[in-house]
Amino acid sequence: MARDFRSLYLAFAVPILLILLFGYALSLDVDRIATIVVDHDRTALSRDIVRQLGASPYFKILGNVGDTQQAGKELDRGEAAFAVVIPAGFAAHMRHDHEAPLQLILDGSDPNFSNIARAYVTAFFDGYNNNRLESFLNRQGQTVLAQPVEGRIRVWFNEDLESRNFIIPGIIAVIIMIVGAMLTSLVIAREYENGTMETIRSLPLTAGEFLLGKAAPYFFIGLTDVLVAVLMAQILFGVVMKSSFWLMITASSLYLAVALALGLFISILTKSQLVANQAALLVTYLPSLLLSNFVFPVTNMPAVLQGLTFFVPATYYIEILNGIYLKNLTLGQLGSSFLVLAVMLSVLSILNWRQLQKEGFSR
Amino acid sequence: MKVDLIRIRELVRKEFIQLFRDRKIRPILIVAPFIQILVFGYVVNYDIRDIRTAVLDQAQTRESRLIIDGFRGNKIFRITHHLSHDREIEPLMIRGKVDLVLKIGPGLSERVRGGNTAAVQILADGSMSNMASIRVFYAVTVLRSINTTLLHELHPQVIHYGRVDPRIRTWYNPNLDSQYFFVPGIVAIIIMIISLLLTSIAIIKEKEAGTMEQLIVTPLTPLEFILGKTIPYIFVALVQMAVVTAFAVWWFDLPLEGSIPALFAASCLFLLSTLGIGLFISAVSSTQQQAVMTTFFFLLPFFMLSGFVFPIANMPEFVQWLTYLNPMRFFLVIIRGIFLKGVGLEVLWPQYMALLLLGAVVFSGAIGFFRKRLD
Repeated sequence: MARDFRSLYLAFAVPILLILLFGYALSLDVDRIATIVVDHDRTALSRDIVRQLGASPYFKILGNVGDTQQAGKELDRGEAAFAVVIPAGFAAHMRHDHEAPLQLILDGSDPNFSNIARAYVTAFFDGYNNNRLESFLNRQGQTVLAQPVEGRIRVWFNEDLESRNFIIPGIIAVIIMIVGAMLTSLVIAREYENGTMETIRSLPLTAGEFLLGKAAPYFFIGLTDVLVAVLMAQILFGVVMKSSFWLMITASSLYLAVALALGLFISILTKSQLVANQAALLVTYLPSLLLSNFVFPVTNMPAVLQGLTFFVPATYYIEILNGIYLKNLTLGQLGSSFLVLAVMLSVLSILNWRQLQKEGFSR
Repeated sequence: MKVDLIRIRELVRKEFIQLFRDRKIRPILIVAPFIQILVFGYVVNYDIRDIRTAVLDQAQTRESRLIIDGFRGNKIFRITHHLSHDREIEPLMIRGKVDLVLKIGPGLSERVRGGNTAAVQILADGSMSNMASIRVFYAVTVLRSINTTLLHELHPQVIHYGRVDPRIRTWYNPNLDSQYFFVPGIVAIIIMIISLLLTSIAIIKEKEAGTMEQLIVTPLTPLEFILGKTIPYIFVALVQMAVVTAFAVWWFDLPLEGSIPALFAASCLFLLSTLGIGLFISAVSSTQQQAVMTTFFFLLPFFMLSGFVFPIANMPEFVQWLTYLNPMRFFLVIIRGIFLKGVGLEVLWPQYMALLLLGAVVFSGAIGFFRKRLD
């Protein structure tokens, strides 16, 4: 391994790249919605609506076009995601105390985006109408009616609603899987392919010693990656643990050990680097990305997939990380997740150990 | 440099024989794409339904029941817990059993009937911030419609004032179906993985087995070698593309609004880039482990900075410029344009041009680089 500088370098570069990407560039939050305007009314009132829309941080006015068809083209090309069409006579309707229809077209391709965007649009016009109602009632000398009920929103665990705060802990789980399972899945398979397995078997090396020796370097690389990720998250992106650092390190070591055992298991079974790699991709990397509640909500999945998530180690690790980063939980509250990871580790270790014995290793 | 078609044909034949002889590779080629499309298709799902809601009703009046019924009478919310005490809230939230808690205080009806505003607390689990924003919005929407009902009861006369009636229409994916958006993207990702990984590994295997030297001493020119090594995977990737697309359309009931030849042409252009990168990786790697890690190093940013899950418009401007170097970015716009918007070359020609340009540069660059390494 140490001879192979690039693999070592990549074992550090991939995690740093991932953290930088997710911290700086990737976000599921919606703002600056690219908005195109068609103003058939051309009055002070219509211009004022557009100005207010542009002043909100959620919308970014790209400009005006002549008609709806042209706005549609901008949506087709993906340049704009939202079109506001103000019909002629809009201001006149408003002045005569009528409802004035406003045509709004939203690009619905991306449901995450369009759900949130729709919420912003609705909230914007609610606020606008409320202001209109208030000034209308003031003009009439009437008091403003109180809304009967009002939602007081309190967000727990991630008070600022920053996607970064849950994505960065999740990405640590993915990094450990890449370094732990993907790299180690190749190490024993390589010995088989090169025919060096015979030589090793003839050495006075027990199965346990062989496994530990293969896993140890990757354990240290993985743990260093975790430390780098934690530091970067904290210093660069202000993602701070609410609970204990040592709990985080304990959980990471345990999860890393599970990843290593899984990688070695794949390696011993497949005996071919190409197949081991594909298997590792399918069994370790993809599930920890997809089935672990990382960015894809498990509660939205069909029952079969929800059942599968119970077998994915990352599910438990991410639960622990969310507990540490967002919810300020203690070991006692996270005990069951720790326990499941420990059971997974024991089962995989025993399987590895027995498989190697079958192949001629001594106890 | 002249190219001997017969030699290439023989190399392609050898490559196919090696590929299909390998019993362990067959499932990877045939089963893996289907698993990927099924899993991805169901996993990447931001549909808003069944928001798990716990209710703590301390008022127990007609008004409070009106509010709860507002949350019960639709598919968006699912009331999973009826609580009777404040202290039951925290354990539920901590264990992630509910997404929202609705707390109605004891004095609700007195305040409402007295013409005042009564607060209804909405506690949201913010862990997944994007989902939380949407859930809170839908909760507020329910409360707003209840307000309309209650206001009408309190003040039967209607006030006419000049107000905006926002009529929101959603284009392309009116039901906001997650699968319509993500499944076409998954097709793109499957081709990318297959073409990138198989080409680089096919060449590394020759290096590792020591057969590379044998190939070099044959009259095969480097260009012939490269073509012989890539053509089989162009073929494999295109067949996979066709099968996976057909499967996706059939299984997920996807609309395929645009033209199939346009999709095919875009795939060919996209493969130019991915095979070029595969060649490049195989030239700079000497072991499969290196090749795999390097492939990963390329795959991740291609995947993340493509707009597949994370919108490009959200990225900082500098990173947005970087995405113009990503062939996946253009391919996704094309594939989604063809699937959802039913547009073709008349709208998507800039993306086709970009793919062609990137593909030409990457592929010829890779050939040049590879030849230098061989010599």
